This record gives sequence, structure tokens and C-alpha cells, in this order.
Amino acid sequence: QEGTAETPKQKLLDIIGNMKVEVSYRKKLQELKASENKKQDTNMLAGPDSEGPQRAAEGIQRGKPLNPELVKAASAVASSLPLNKKQTESELLAQLRRHEETTDKQKKGETINIRNVISEMTVKKRSPAQRGVRISSRISLELDDDGQRIRPERFSSQSLDSRRSLKVGKRLNIFTKASTEPEHALKTVSSPTIWDLEFAKEIAAITAQPPRNGFEEMIQWTKEGILWEFPIDNEVGMDDGAEFHEHIFLDKHLEGFPKDGPIRHFMELVICGLSKNPYLSVKQKIEHIEWFEKYFEEKKELLQDI
Amino acid sequence: MAAAALGWALRAARQVLPSPCPGQVRSYYVDWRMLRDVKRRRLAYEYADERLRINAIRKNTILPKELQEVADKEIAALPRDSCPSRIRNRCVLTSRPRGVRRRWRLSRIAFRHFADHAQVSGVQRAMW
Repeated sequence: QEGTAETPKQKLLDIIGNMKVEVSYRKKLQELKASENKKQDTNMLAGPDSEGPQRAAEGIQRGKPLNPELVKAASAVASSLPLNKKQTESELLAQLRRHEETTDKQKKGETINIRNVISEMTVKKRSPAQRGVRISSRISLELDDDGQRIRPERFSSQSLDSRRSLKVGKRLNIFTKASTEPEHALKTVSSPTIWDLEFAKEIAAITAQPPRNGFEEMIQWTKEGILWEFPIDNEVGMDDGAEFHEHIFLDKHLEGFPKDGPIRHFMELVICGLSKNPYLSVKQKIEHIEWFEKYFEEKKELLQDI
Repeated sequence: MAAAALGWALRAARQVLPSPCPGQVRSYYVDWRMLRDVKRRRLAYEYADERLRINAIRKNTILPKELQEVADKEIAALPRDSCPSRIRNRCVLTSRPRGVRRRWRLSRIAFRHFADHAQVSGVQRAMW
């Protein structure tokens, strides 16, 4: 055993001697683990210990098997340390495995790389004008009529966004995408109960606060229809989207009438008058003509007597 | 038809303004004459088209006279309150039938009252 212990130690020393001198502690640890892994392999090969194959089996069972060199190095380190060798070896191997996992994740790009996050950030430079505004906004003690403070406008975020768009740069993978659930089938809604209506009315009454100033009052009036919309549109509520030829050329509606006679004469006069009327919609004009048609249909017997 | 008219009359007699407006809120018409005038206006609006068409047949030199006589009878058969000439422009606040200025729909007394309190826009005591 001494011979086997010496050769792994020798191997460990060789490995460490060959390795570069690193400043960071993490890399040192990794190298130590690497050497210990090698040590473990040599132990495996040297003697079929009861723990050796077990450890090997464990190493293989937990997902991706570790680098055999690293395993050797881990065992070498454990043997070199004065404390319980097997325990230290298992702990080192566990550490190694965790490191492997992190490196795998980083390779795939799943974890948050803080460097990526910080690289995108820049030091915010406050312009003196903005600074002054911010200070004054904090100190402002002006009160409205209601006794509420005037809220300062949040324009700083908007100005920053205009300089750098939000969708530029690498994805940082800090937030998981919210799963867009498919909209469930609409629940069968029965007709709204009286309580629902009352509740809705209550909400409407509470949310409809009285206007704070003249502008809000005018807005409310415009919504209700009391105040006209400016610039004034003379054809509000009148424009039915019909072309001029539908208003003027109403001859085609005269097909139900006899071609000759006083009735035709009368209807032509009616149509002449309607075509000159700008205040009626096309529907209303057609309704007039149809009423006359019905009326004369009813009076047909009377007319035939004449 | 009768039921609808009755329902409308009941509602008219007890009209509660829903919007919370400042000032005096009147829940009833000033008097029954005003209510009747309101009924006449409503009926005149409903029958306006028919009256117009039947009058077009009546006031005519082209159509035969028999047709015009029939039209005369028809228009006489319409409800009497549907005639627009029965509408009286009463004062909106006091229901006074006479002395009503059309622009403000107020009788002279109500107009004077509000003008003196500077509640009529653009109206000033004349002095020259």
C-alpha cells in the first residue's frame, strides 16, 4: 500500500508541478480535484477495493461520469490530506460534480451570467436640468384643491427608453416566459341578476368622480353629447354614407306606379322635391315613396271608378 | 296602444331626473296644462310624416278631387292632438302661455328674474 500510495502521490506532485500557477482559488480547487480524480482511477486500477467500484459506480450513476483524471486527482488529494480520506474524497467528488453541472449549464446558456447583465448596464448621467426638476419635485408641497399633492410626471423613464430600445441586446434569461394559457371555454353565463346590475351601477357611480376642473367637465359633456366636438362637423349624425346619385336619381323607385296619368305626374313632382331636400336621408326618402305606393294601391278601386 | 299611452303618461307625471345636477331639481311638470302640451308635442312628432304625406295629396291640383276628399277624411280621422298647431309654446319653468320669449323658452317674469341675477348669458340691463 505504501508503494501504491507513493506512486499516486508522485503522480499528484507531477501533475501539480506541470500545472500553471493560478491566482484564483477556484481554479486551484478544480485542479486539485482533477488530480484527485486521477488518483482515484489509479486506486481503482491498483486494487479492487470494495469502495473503489462502489465509488466508480456512484460516479457513473449520477448522470454524466466525471473526468477520470479529475477522479484520480481527487483521490490523490484525499490521500494527501491528514483527515478521513474517504470522506474527503466523496466530498471533493460531490463538489466536482456540482462544478461540472454548472459548467454544462453555462455552456448551454441556461444560467444567468452576471457578466452579461452588467455589460449591458451603463452609468446613468443625470443632466443638471433633470436633476433640478427631480429635487424640486421631491420638495414640492403644493396642494390641489382636494388636498392631494401634485404628482410629478414620470418622464425620466421615457427619456431613457428613447435612447436605448428595450429589445436590443442578448437575452438575459432572468424571467421565464409567462405561459400563455389557452382561454378556457366561456362559462355559461346566465342573464345578469338584479344583484349584478346593482353592483355594476354601484361601481359606475363610484368610479364616475365629479370633475376636478373645467376641462374635465367639458370632457364629460362632450362624452354625453351636450357639448359639440371641435372643429365643428356640420354633418354629425346625418351622414349615412350614401352617394349623391342615390339622393337625386330616384326614378328607379317609381317602377310600381302606372306610366301615364295624374298619379305619375304627381309622383314625379314628389321625386323632384325629394331630390332637392338635403335634410332627409336616402332611407327616409324611400320610405316616403313607398308609403305613396301603398296608399295608391289601396285606393285602386276608387281610382278605377273615376 | 292605449296601455302604452297610459304608461307614458304615468311616467311623465313622475319624472325623476337621474343625473345629479346642481340647482333645483323638478320631478314633476309644473301643471296639467303643461303635461297636455307635452302629450301634444309627442303625438305631433309621431304623426308628422303621415300628416305631411296626406296633406301633399290634399293640397294638389293634379290628382282627382275624389282622391283629395278621401284624403281630407283620412286626416280628420287622425287624433286631434297630432296636429302641430295645437302646440303652445309655454314657459318652461312657470307654464305661462303668454309673454314667452322663444329663444329662452321662458316667460317674461322668469326671464327678468334670471337676468337680474346674471344667470342668463349675454343679457344685460339696457341703458342708452
